[in-house]
Amino acid sequence: MDTQWPRFEVFEQARPGQPHRNAGAVHAPDAEMALQNARDVFVRRPDCASLWVAPEAAIYSRTAEELTAGEAEAGDEHGPTQMYQVFQKQSQRQAETFVNHLGSVEASSPEAALRQAAEQWGKGAWVWWIVPESAITRSTEAEAASMFAPALNKPYRQPNYYHVQTQMRAVRAHDPDEDEA
Amino acid sequence: METTDEARQEAFERRIARGEKIEPGDWMPDAYRKQLIRIISQHAHSEIVGMLPEGAWITRAPNLRQKLVLLAKVQDEAGHGQYLYHAAETLGATREEMIEALLTGKAKYSSVFNYPSLAWADMGIIGWLVDGAAILNQSMLARCSYGPYSRAMVRICMEEGFHKKQGQEMVIRYARGTPGQTAMVQDALNRWWWPALMMFGPHDSESSNSAALIRWKIKTRTNDELRQEFVNELVPDLHALGLSVPDPALRYNAETSNWITGEIDWDEFWRVVRGGGPCNKERLAARQQAHDDGQWVREALAAYAARTDAGRSTA
Repeated sequence: MDTQWPRFEVFEQARPGQPHRNAGAVHAPDAEMALQNARDVFVRRPDCASLWVAPEAAIYSRTAEELTAGEAEAGDEHGPTQMYQVFQKQSQRQAETFVNHLGSVEASSPEAALRQAAEQWGKGAWVWWIVPESAITRSTEAEAASMFAPALNKPYRQPNYYHVQTQMRAVRAHDPDEDEA
Repeated sequence: METTDEARQEAFERRIARGEKIEPGDWMPDAYRKQLIRIISQHAHSEIVGMLPEGAWITRAPNLRQKLVLLAKVQDEAGHGQYLYHAAETLGATREEMIEALLTGKAKYSSVFNYPSLAWADMGIIGWLVDGAAILNQSMLARCSYGPYSRAMVRICMEEGFHKKQGQEMVIRYARGTPGQTAMVQDALNRWWWPALMMFGPHDSESSNSAALIRWKIKTRTNDELRQEFVNELVPDLHALGLSVPDPALRYNAETSNWITGEIDWDEFWRVVRGGGPCNKERLAARQQAHDDGQWVREALAAYAARTDAGRSTA
């Protein structure tokens, strides 16, 4: 029996007003469960205000290397349009973040959406993700309290809850001979 | 446009040299992919099996604060296992293959979890030493050349800061506590010191994978370098607390400013890696049972998904 479940990419927003950014992935049989799993896996700390999930299969992803090496992918230019959300990895700096949300475009295919996004936000991205708006499931305002507030009440999960440096200084001040090195 | 594997390999090595991160979708040599799947899945298994020695003490925590802290820590390890399985999946490994490899003994996990946690003070020593050693290794891996692994490590290191500190806080308290508490924490240190040093792996000269891992910037420091930093950081603190390190050969080298330990018992190391440790069988049996006990959940989710799919298509 296949127990793997489809993979959903997870986007988290640290604080209202900041862009959603990819946090990682979860597996789930549907988007609603994916949102619940995303909350359990990624929100054990009080730095999440909103979560989005989208099935990996719906995401059009291209790295700079793929775009340089591949033939230009035409995609449908003339069909009916839909909204795509655009995400981009902007730098090689070590960071927790992968692709950040930039905004949305209207296009008739993901390829066309990527061309439009490159014109609008510049071509210098390391990775592009183009996600159809219809594939995204978002946490709602009504759910926010039950999803994100519990992490606020668990200060013992934060390193600054413990004062071991101060305690070690006190130990050493009390008994300086013990400190050999 | 024809690109040979040789040209691709050269371009890849140049990207590594420039310090760029390799992302899913980018070309990579097969050996790079295989090494990463091996170490990321082992790392994931270590997080999951790592819940067991501490999980055993949740119901026996001496007060509510300690219980909340321990619960939160074990829950973190479960989450960290998830981050890492997902990172390995971006390389083409499936969750089922990885869990199968763990349950059949094909895949390894950190040997330190094959030792038993015999007393409450073990929770303090495990947090300070075992998580402390893991953080040193993981801070290095946070700079690794594969994007998804590197990001999982950054997140894990941020969360694990509290694991180490809550352990150290407990050790400080018991080291300055009643004679019974002092004896309990010293005994825990005696049992976990050597397994913690073994966590960094074999000597560089014996480590068959080290050279390739360093060339591709999966690792940027060697096992022995990390182990030395760990010992140098811990020994003065342990001494300041009046605890003794269970190594009669331990000495300070003033020229190099290094604490030099006696030789690790490598026979024991390999025996435990190969399945002969005190808890290897128990740990795998616990994972197998968790897998079997979760069967009904997987089936219920499948039934739910099938029903909602059917509901949608007829709607």
